[in-house]
Amino acid sequence: MTGLASAIRPFRAIGDFFAMSLDTFVLMFKPPFAWREFLAQSWFVARVSIVPTLMLTIPFTVLIVFTLNILLIEFGAADFSGTGAATAAVTQVGPVVTVLVIAGAGATAMCADLGARSIREELDAMRVLGINPLHSLVVPRVLAATCVSTALVSVVSIVGLAGSFFFSVFVQHVTPGAFAGGLTLLTGSSDVILGLVKGALFGMSAALIACYKGMSVGGGAQGVGNAVNETVVYSFMALFVINIIATAIFYVGPK
Amino acid sequence: MSAKTVAVQRFPRLHRATEQSFKSWNRIGSQMAFYVNTLGDVRFAIANYKSEMLRLVAGMSLGVGALAVIGGTVVIVGFLTLSTGAIIAVQGYNQLSGIGVEALTGFLAAYVNVRITAPATAGIALAATIGAGATAQLGAMRISEEIDALEAMAIRSVAYLASTRVAAGVLVVIPLYCIAVLMTFVAARVSTTAIYGQATGVYDHYFTTFLNPTDLLWSFMTATVLAVVIMLMHTYYGYTATGGPAGVGEAVGRAVRASLIVSAFTVLVISLAVYGQSGNFNLSG
Repeated sequence: MTGLASAIRPFRAIGDFFAMSLDTFVLMFKPPFAWREFLAQSWFVARVSIVPTLMLTIPFTVLIVFTLNILLIEFGAADFSGTGAATAAVTQVGPVVTVLVIAGAGATAMCADLGARSIREELDAMRVLGINPLHSLVVPRVLAATCVSTALVSVVSIVGLAGSFFFSVFVQHVTPGAFAGGLTLLTGSSDVILGLVKGALFGMSAALIACYKGMSVGGGAQGVGNAVNETVVYSFMALFVINIIATAIFYVGPK
Repeated sequence: MSAKTVAVQRFPRLHRATEQSFKSWNRIGSQMAFYVNTLGDVRFAIANYKSEMLRLVAGMSLGVGALAVIGGTVVIVGFLTLSTGAIIAVQGYNQLSGIGVEALTGFLAAYVNVRITAPATAGIALAATIGAGATAQLGAMRISEEIDALEAMAIRSVAYLASTRVAAGVLVVIPLYCIAVLMTFVAARVSTTAIYGQATGVYDHYFTTFLNPTDLLWSFMTATVLAVVIMLMHTYYGYTATGGPAGVGEAVGRAVRASLIVSAFTVLVISLAVYGQSGNFNLSG
């Protein structure tokens, strides 16, 4: 009997997660909306993720631009390094760095916060007072993470483009005009929109995973630590899957 | 004494700001000291704590708790690298066919996967799985005063807890990285040939022509360095966790943030140092 119970536990967890997500979506449209919590959470997520965003974007774009430029210089097509940089920054580095930051910085902080609250039985106290924690805590967090990660995609793209411009022009001696001219050759507004949509999806799913793990914490300090660890792993996995599906749909769709 | 008290009372904000900056300066110093101690004790740990090392290697490769249910670190690393390999193929094939040279997708897979994608993704996966797990374990031990108990029993806690984890991380990363690299190759090949319908001969020709064994060795070295750096940072944050259960969660989050940043810079520095300005690469060759 216990063997059966432990065998179906993962399925139960998946079911619980989807039930919580559905509840969250339904409660999103139910007044009153927790504006104060939404603003506080947006500020919180933005504050923990802005420095990691900058610190991750710069090395990744420099790395990719450096590798691509070696290739392009070998072809004798260094003038197209702007094209490569735009493709890399907008379509690859943008979403991937946003994934890393949202899952590694935003979701972990969110899960640690909610996990601490469930350990201290604050969530139970809220339920006793007749306040639904999903409505007052999870909904604003999910919406805040969605908004902030959409904004992060644009920050990542701009910082990535600026970083690759400086690196290409001043280190690898690419002509600045050719760099700027090549930017829009392969990357159009539809790629930018794809990036923003991906950002919104990432933020939403990472926040849902973090809230689920944070609210179902058990077992003291080790439990909170494990919950944060699982949040990172699951949100990385979910976000990589979303990234590849969104990319594939985008490229299959218009044709 | 009295002059200092007067100054502190007269300028409380200035006093607090200087205290803060001194504290962060001291924190960097103690972090550095911890790393040096940990690395210095690795030999001692391997010689004296063999059974603990073995237990950690088993726990790290298969994972603990709920992560073991989905297959542990091996499956997670394999899955993440599989999806990045696939995305390189999807993106590369589409962008290259935009300029009419989609035949070069195999070349892209051999070049980008080995040099950037596989080490970076493996580093991320290591930080998320074994790194964050180590922080959670050590943090919980610190909070429940188990580390103090070790010290009271005259066991060298840094060697027993941190050095063993760093050594075990390096041992685990070698087979894990083999899986990671293979997964990126398999994913790129399958998605290019099976999904986009490129001829397998074309793909294999460009792939094997541009797969450079020296690059693969450097890529392995990058992964090993990443494992050492990540395990050092994560054990530090766990070892110095404070503030109850919430503090452990925060320590895990801070450790993940810090190690992601440091591993990105590590990959960058190593690839700039190894491949240099010329790229150590001949398209015609």
